[in-house]
Amino acid sequence: MNENEKKGTNRIVIPIGPQHPSLKEPGCFTIVLEGEKVVDAHIGIGYNHRGLEKACESRNYIQTLYLIERVCGICSHTHSTAYCQGIEELTGLSIPKRAAYIRVIVAELERLHSHLLWLGVAAHEIGFDTLFMYTWRDREKVLDILADVCGNRVNYGINTIGGVRRDIDDEMLKNMSKVLDFLQDQLKYYLDLALTETTLSARLAGIGKLSREEALSFGAVGPVARAAGIEEDIRVIEPYAAYPEIPVKIVTDTHADVFGRTIVRIKEMLESLEIIRFCIKNLPGGEIAVKAPRRIPAGEVISRTEAPRGENIHYIRSNGTDILDRIRVRAPSEANWHGMRHMLQGEYLADVPITIAAIDPCYSCTDRAIVVNSGSKTEVMDWQALRQFGIEWHKKRGIDLSAIKMPERKIYSL
Amino acid sequence: MQAEQMIVDKLCKRFDFLQDRIHVQREKRIFTSPLPREEFEQVIHYLHDEMGFYKASHVVGTDDGDDLGFIYILSNREGIILALKEKAPKLDPRIRTMTELYPSLELHERELVNLFGAVVEGLPGDSSYPLPDGWPKGSYPLRKDWKPEYFDKNTMTYKPPIYEGEKEDGSK
Repeated sequence: MNENEKKGTNRIVIPIGPQHPSLKEPGCFTIVLEGEKVVDAHIGIGYNHRGLEKACESRNYIQTLYLIERVCGICSHTHSTAYCQGIEELTGLSIPKRAAYIRVIVAELERLHSHLLWLGVAAHEIGFDTLFMYTWRDREKVLDILADVCGNRVNYGINTIGGVRRDIDDEMLKNMSKVLDFLQDQLKYYLDLALTETTLSARLAGIGKLSREEALSFGAVGPVARAAGIEEDIRVIEPYAAYPEIPVKIVTDTHADVFGRTIVRIKEMLESLEIIRFCIKNLPGGEIAVKAPRRIPAGEVISRTEAPRGENIHYIRSNGTDILDRIRVRAPSEANWHGMRHMLQGEYLADVPITIAAIDPCYSCTDRAIVVNSGSKTEVMDWQALRQFGIEWHKKRGIDLSAIKMPERKIYSL
Repeated sequence: MQAEQMIVDKLCKRFDFLQDRIHVQREKRIFTSPLPREEFEQVIHYLHDEMGFYKASHVVGTDDGDDLGFIYILSNREGIILALKEKAPKLDPRIRTMTELYPSLELHERELVNLFGAVVEGLPGDSSYPLPDGWPKGSYPLRKDWKPEYFDKNTMTYKPPIYEGEKEDGSK
């Protein structure tokens, strides 16, 4: 007789992870089952913690900017924006209007690609791989614009203390407008799909419930909170960069489940398109940065932005030198984990992956990761060299991809 | 900044000890000076129960020399952030958990235990977060005297150099 039989229960404990079926990052979920139903869950995270905040305490403010950008590979711009505007507040710097608009354009492009990524992951989790392929195809177009504007598909390096590092020219804006028109049609189709396709609603509705009261109690943020009817968006509550001049509509829903989170994210993407169009139309001329001092006056600041996943908070304390005294990044995923146990309780085991995926968890954000390459050789590859490297890498393993012709890509040099 | 000032005035009226220890930094930002445990607990309960500060976004640990600092980032429905600070001596860094008021603080309080060596009384559970199992006891990486170069990740040991006249635990 095993322990469960002795206690007269049918409970089974299943450890899932750290390598788990939902996302490609490490997290350990200990699921307690009674039959197929989840009766309890323990969330184990922390596998990506690399001491980023400690590393910042031994680097100057510009070096720290690039570390902070690498808190998250998906929403790197929101972290560098929160950091830069915090330092700008400490120094009393006011950035040029054009720089503020460029920050918003990149932020909304980031939201678009992050939400498209999520929509694809969510579709994959419920076995709707056609939607997964559509959305990731569309995401590539957003990443192409980001590569045009910033030089990078991710970790854009556009922000600097005092403004932005690169300007946007008319050709870039023209290309951007074309992609926005394409995305408009696609997103309307996805919204229509979500609202009318029974496969989606049957699989997502009623799953991962977190009511308005519970969301408030657990401190949920972003689409998770807004899908429970909470009207919270830092772009509106405390507008930063150029948001004070831009009309932003808070998207909410009342389903308070995975279905609601899906609707909110799709509608937010449509809203992002409008924000970028407004910025293109009203982009002011002039400088893109002002000079920032190397030493930052002593003080402390709390800076926040609306990341794709919700409220992002940076606490920064300076001591009058060129190295900060303390930084603490409270990324949105960190806030949304607290309600996860509650969301999983009462669900079927088969719904665990989509419930976890529905908060769009980012382990790197939560754990504030930093990856340091070992070895001293640093190599920078352009697009063609990178492709060639990939071809050679696969050839050694018996796969020849060289026959596939790829279009030339325009890459802006640094 | 009328709303912010009203909050400060109301708190000062309720708690005499907050006079000159709380200020409006800018719109939507109120900061306090570090408060000892008893005073801090009175204020945070009042903010939660009576003043609508329903949300605790996080708690930031700081190394302030002889003390450890704990900055609770609270906010209300208007989006006003109040940074309420608590301090505890490093020699006895005991604070009480605030997870009963704010369940959202659990992970952050665990960090204070792991990374700063705080003793958070009443914090449920005992699993280590975010440091891995086997992390050397008494080694708190976010304290200023902890240096990464003395940590060996292969053996999971922390061995700072021992100077003349010092014992192995760093005391004289």
